[in-house]
Amino acid sequence: MPEPTATATAATATATAADAFTVDVFTAVANPARREVLRLLRDGGPRPVGELAEHFDMRRPSLSEHLRLLKDAGLVTERRVGRQRWYALEAAPLRALTDWLAPYERFWNDRIDGLADLLDAERDDIDGPPNAGHHD
Amino acid sequence: MTEPTSIDVDRFLPHPPEKVWRALTDPERLAGWLMPNDFVPEIGHRFTFHTEPRPGFDGVVHCEVLALEPPRLLAWSWRGGTLDSTVTWTLAPEGRGTRLFLRHEGFDPDDPLQRQALRIMGGGWRSHIMRALETSLADQP
Repeated sequence: MPEPTATATAATATATAADAFTVDVFTAVANPARREVLRLLRDGGPRPVGELAEHFDMRRPSLSEHLRLLKDAGLVTERRVGRQRWYALEAAPLRALTDWLAPYERFWNDRIDGLADLLDAERDDIDGPPNAGHHD
Repeated sequence: MTEPTSIDVDRFLPHPPEKVWRALTDPERLAGWLMPNDFVPEIGHRFTFHTEPRPGFDGVVHCEVLALEPPRLLAWSWRGGTLDSTVTWTLAPEGRGTRLFLRHEGFDPDDPLQRQALRIMGGGWRSHIMRALETSLADQP
């Protein structure tokens, strides 16, 4: 399993920085359309708003609302190029999500440790593949 | 994107899928590594897991068998506290053993109670899936 220590300090620093934003990252990703915007920006890089709009069956003002909220959460940055507004992804605040689910992931890892112990302790009365033998 | 509202764990177990399957579906064995339960391997069967109550959680997880394809696929609904979620186990033969995948999905990032309950449980592990996502995201210009 990966060791969490190396990234812990960075995550703490990020969480502190994220506190400065007016919308929290949980609210931001709670909406499927906003998750889709993040996915599009991740896969396709920065894009003008018009290009993002092509992917959604919604009016431009609604998309603008979503983009504004993502910006307020620190998940996207906005840049004006000529008459177009371009949006780019800022991944760092997503770390707050990882921290959110971490206790549950730890719960499952601990339980699966228990499962592994139980399996190791049982007599091998169920055979493995034909040439596997019983060397474990 | 990888759904940021789910947990993925995978683990290699040096035992054949049939044996891992039995540990997942035999109520006594299941109680031995997860929680006391009244599980029956039958699609649609409703059952519960019991654990210690905590603030905001009475210690009972209400479940229903959603998928059952021995020895490959097992899914339960998982409702407890403010959670309304799904747990899916997938078993794949790998060498002399089994690659066990767990997906726990349906966490609601917009539910303050759920977030509070999770915070009470304390911090710890970071998901390698999320880390992979972050790395991939960080590579963007």
